[in-house]
Amino acid sequence: MNLRAGWALIGTTWTMRLQTRGLFFIEALSWMVAPLAFLFVWVTAAGSGTVGGFSRGEFVAYYLLLIVIAQVTNVQHEWTVGDAIASGDLNRLLLRPMAPVLDVLAQDVAAVTVTLLFAFPVGAVLALLLRPELHPTPSDVILFFPALTLAWALRFCWSYALASLAFWTSRAGGLFSLHAALLFLLAGQVAPVALLPKPLRAVAILLPFRYMLGFPVEVLSGHLDATGIARGLAWQLGWLIVCLALARLLWRLGVRRYTAWGG
Amino acid sequence: MNRPEISVHGLTKSYRVPERGAGLKATLGSLVQRTYRQVEAVQDVTFSIEAGEIVGFLGPNGAGKTTTLKLLAGLLHPTSGCASVAGFVPWRREPAFLRRISMVLGNKSQMLWAIPPLDTFRVLGEIYGVPPAQLRTTLDELITLLDLTALVTKPVRTLSLGERMKCELVCALLYRPSVLFLDEPTLGLDVTMQARLRVFIADYNRRASATILLTSHTLADIMALCSRVLFIHDGRLRYDGDLRTLARRLAPFKFIDLMLYGDDPATGDDAVLPPGASVVASSHGHLRVRAERAAAPAIAAHLLQTLPVEDLTVEDPPIETIVDQLYRGGPR
Repeated sequence: MNLRAGWALIGTTWTMRLQTRGLFFIEALSWMVAPLAFLFVWVTAAGSGTVGGFSRGEFVAYYLLLIVIAQVTNVQHEWTVGDAIASGDLNRLLLRPMAPVLDVLAQDVAAVTVTLLFAFPVGAVLALLLRPELHPTPSDVILFFPALTLAWALRFCWSYALASLAFWTSRAGGLFSLHAALLFLLAGQVAPVALLPKPLRAVAILLPFRYMLGFPVEVLSGHLDATGIARGLAWQLGWLIVCLALARLLWRLGVRRYTAWGG
Repeated sequence: MNRPEISVHGLTKSYRVPERGAGLKATLGSLVQRTYRQVEAVQDVTFSIEAGEIVGFLGPNGAGKTTTLKLLAGLLHPTSGCASVAGFVPWRREPAFLRRISMVLGNKSQMLWAIPPLDTFRVLGEIYGVPPAQLRTTLDELITLLDLTALVTKPVRTLSLGERMKCELVCALLYRPSVLFLDEPTLGLDVTMQARLRVFIADYNRRASATILLTSHTLADIMALCSRVLFIHDGRLRYDGDLRTLARRLAPFKFIDLMLYGDDPATGDDAVLPPGASVVASSHGHLRVRAERAAAPAIAAHLLQTLPVEDLTVEDPPIETIVDQLYRGGPR
């Protein structure tokens, strides 16, 4: 794809998002509700002391970062691309001299920029009201950016792999709900992963969900030492390679099946 | 020697579709053991089309027309057989191939619902790598030809079916493809719009020397545009050639309509007719005679001599009747 086409696609998505801006902001707001609720739960629990090493202000910082980062890394291909496969709209993309994933990528980039227009001001107002405490070291700040990029890439590939399941079944909705539930539980939304009960924490560290969302938040909020950050980045990279390979494989097999069976 | 623009040899596409009876018992049964049925959508189809030809694809619903078009556009992978379109194997879907072909599906849309058509056109122009100056010229031309000037800045969802179809054509043509697959391009359009689209398609064919393969259940489309038709039935190619020749083969007779002086009911009597002719309708001085095609001139001359003829016309049976006959039984 040429760069001009990429820009044109991004521009189109912006235009479309702005056309439906009312609904869009409501959607963005709905994604914030759960982390906000947990923010208040943990702030209340901490009172003037600490819970698991987190003070009140640290909980505020953690969840405000989570709100913004959740929006940045938010991708929903399992629904959008899955629908295109199930409805036969994929034909339109297959007929274009451009890989369909680039269309999806352009839409995501466009969506993120629009979401941030909303998430940043809301985060800033909440920060003024709730006074977060953030103590990142300079290396935390530097390492946050690769952690965030990897988190986004991991979620993109994982979601694309899930979407590819639509080539085989139209009943993958249950699986997608499970994915959402695990993301909620193990990615650091209900509680920072460090505060999860031990067995659950062990699972969270093994599975990819923490690395899609919670991990970059932990890095920037200064809750991880150098080893913790290095391990996390290694897990992220490992899972990214697995998910990228999985997404490519499922997509290829899926398209082959699609063109064998008819859209 | 020129290579044909589209050549298809032994093209076959079969599907395995899950099958189960109605009712709870059959549903539960299918959970345990699925049964499948083999569907032969396209069977051993062979034809070739020269560059610049417009060919019509005829056949009843489910005959395999759309499947064949999808195979040729690269959306489907065949079970066996080979095809070449503009020098490419379609199902490899190489970008250079996709830039040369275009497919319009009457029931599917390229347009993005929430935004004006012009935005979609521009994005597609970039995707297909059309140089900006050329895109502007092509768009101006298409928009003028299709009378879209007032519409291209309105959101697509506010457009009528016919207006959207015109926009689909712009999407399909803005990168000047040399091969066009049109699946029911006049679906849902009124008579005037159909006629305009036909003129437009014929014009594009002429000016761009484009090869066009189209399906339509509107026979007027086929008759106006296609000198050659492919008739497909149950996945098999049954006829390849001129539509009028097909009509003559299927309907070896003509109708002779007579207006007679006076109002004599006896004029409808078979007794006055020569061999090879029979009366199919008669009322109040009007007589319709079915005559064997070869004998039609002689029969007409005989009728002129023996009856008080005020007016006489000779015509072929309506093409709809012939095609109906074709769809029910296929040519013999």
